Amino acid sequence: MSHTVPEESVDVFGPDSILRRLVNEARWGLAVTRATLLEAAHPQIGAALMENSTFLTRPWRRLRNTTMSSRRILDPDPRVRDREVARLNRLHARMSGTDAQGRPYDATDREARAWVVATLFESTVTMCRLSGESLDAEAMRRLYDEYRAFLALIDGDNDHLPATLPQFWSYYDDVIEHRLENNEAVGVILYRLFANVPAPPVLRGHPAVWAMGRAVAAPVATAVTISSLPEPFSRRLALPDLPGSRTLMHSAYLTAALATRYLPESWTRVEFFMGLLDPSGAEASPWDAVRRKAGKVAALARLLTPASDASAADESGQVIRSAERFFTDVLDQTGDGCLRWPDLAAMAREIATRLDLGERDEERLFQAYAAWWRELQAALDSDGDGRVTRQEYAAAAALLPGSGLIKIADVLFDVTDADDDQKIDAQEYRNLFRTAFHRDLTGGDGSYSRSAFVRQFVSFMTGRQHSSAYNSLLSQE
Amino acid sequence: MAVPRHVACVMDGNGRWATQRSLPRTAGHEAAEAAVMDVIEAARSSGVTWLSLYAFSTENWRRPAAEVDILMRLVRRAIRKHAPVLHARGVRCRFLGMTDPRIPAPLVRDITDLTTLTSDNRRMTLTVAFDHGGRRDIVEAARSLIRSAMPPDQVTEASFAQHLPYSDTPDVDLVIRTSGEQRISNFMLWQVAYAEWVFPQVLWPDFRAAHFWECLDAYRRRQRRFGEVRQSTTMTGEGLR
Repeated sequence: MSHTVPEESVDVFGPDSILRRLVNEARWGLAVTRATLLEAAHPQIGAALMENSTFLTRPWRRLRNTTMSSRRILDPDPRVRDREVARLNRLHARMSGTDAQGRPYDATDREARAWVVATLFESTVTMCRLSGESLDAEAMRRLYDEYRAFLALIDGDNDHLPATLPQFWSYYDDVIEHRLENNEAVGVILYRLFANVPAPPVLRGHPAVWAMGRAVAAPVATAVTISSLPEPFSRRLALPDLPGSRTLMHSAYLTAALATRYLPESWTRVEFFMGLLDPSGAEASPWDAVRRKAGKVAALARLLTPASDASAADESGQVIRSAERFFTDVLDQTGDGCLRWPDLAAMAREIATRLDLGERDEERLFQAYAAWWRELQAALDSDGDGRVTRQEYAAAAALLPGSGLIKIADVLFDVTDADDDQKIDAQEYRNLFRTAFHRDLTGGDGSYSRSAFVRQFVSFMTGRQHSSAYNSLLSQE
Repeated sequence: MAVPRHVACVMDGNGRWATQRSLPRTAGHEAAEAAVMDVIEAARSSGVTWLSLYAFSTENWRRPAAEVDILMRLVRRAIRKHAPVLHARGVRCRFLGMTDPRIPAPLVRDITDLTTLTSDNRRMTLTVAFDHGGRRDIVEAARSLIRSAMPPDQVTEASFAQHLPYSDTPDVDLVIRTSGEQRISNFMLWQVAYAEWVFPQVLWPDFRAAHFWECLDAYRRRQRRFGEVRQSTTMTGEGLR
């Protein structure tokens, strides 16, 4: 197979790309969810997801990043595309190790990456099929070529994905039959992710409303996803086949297709749903109405539930609880109950993604986090098992020297201060936190000095001071 | 038939009502709840679109702590009990004042919830003056005006009023103060400037819809002149706003 690295200036997907149209449609989310499950069943990908990914605890952040990333790769401007590809490759190069059974995994594994693209292609085809608008042979071939071009972009070549469609289908069936397994990641997605998915930012203020809606939506999402999976896969994994679930699944896909066709285009585009993930809610969005309605439902629910008079009774428990919450909300990014290197790497990754850092700055940030991790390990990991438990952290966190954190804050200041004027101005602040300045943080001239920045970061990261800006960066979603 | 647009009630006489019956003062507050609900319904059905109730003044904090405490509980209980009905009847509820940290947190949350729940209702706006002081509102408005750095010669009554809390509230047309007391007691000082006052002898816990209609009748019989000499026919004062 020849290298199909595109020429610099060529838009490899072409002006009438099917893929580019689909990623802008909200219903593509159905295909991506299904594909994610098939990916997770691949041993390499399942292990990498379980060990490194924050998708379970912060699914919304992950969704937002994935959407932005795929759009950048499909961007007609080759510079945007190449920058994103380089970033993704650096990100994945940091994910390797051994899984719980001692098998090695590596996020840059060629075969695994080809499988990711294969599942996306097959899920897209399936989505069209289930929506009642099957792709004809020509469209399917074009879509497959676009996906192969996509793989060639991120991997340098696409040798691991068969050249023709007939070859692809036998490759696909073979992987389904012989390579996939029923691993932890699959179980987590099916039975924990949907059931525990935290409220998206737009509904964060109303956990009760979210919990009510989720109690209905989670089993539906599970049923829809399971029934859309290939039969041999469901059989091997012994996934439940409930009566009516296939009808439910068909209705979901059909509704999505009809909505895409008949509703105003602005309602079914991804941007509309991205509004859900915007915690600031500053500008008037269609979701304001949702936010207001949810607020009223929550208010009514609270007024109708019997009043409790447990007010000032547990003032003392407050402090302990806040330390516990800080550990869960901020430090434990992967949600496994203890602090390990992947947790810290996830924080660095999120900051690097937000600021769209170049290779050098990204490396500095990771180095600073690595230094802090060594400091934490030396001071807190009393049993030397490479992880800091909640108890270990609580017992000794206050005694830490904090030099590692100061170093991170320093680097963070440098990379946020894009124009190197030793001040964080309003725009730079917005890039990092996606929210406007808080008046009391700034000096007289509406900017943020290095010392104030470092001080705020350190007091937030040691759990001494609450900061909604850092919360939105590191803890939510 | 002119119906006042904005009616305000100073709910006076709860303590005396209880004393007359040899009951603790708080029993009077408890009995007031029925009167409040009756008046809200009477106002709504007679076409009054703004109703304000003076529930608790900044000076009321000087009462015995136990009485204040019970009063807070009663308010909370009443809010929780009547919230769905108020919402169903299209009443928008707002609370004027509410700055003192002594107001218990659960009550603040319930009040916020009630305000949120009913925020889009438009049939009638019920403003409950709670921990309210008319002078304090004016001082706050002055502060806000100074912060906005408006040039002094541009300050007019209308522009000043924009800085009062709930500046969309129209002037009060009729104030009802029960129990025969005839005082303003620092109540919505700016808004009552041109209001007609009636002072029924009945104590607030005994005040019912029928009394409310009598007060509306008394209002209708009065001629409002807003300081002019010649006879004015307007009864609502809308021309002034």
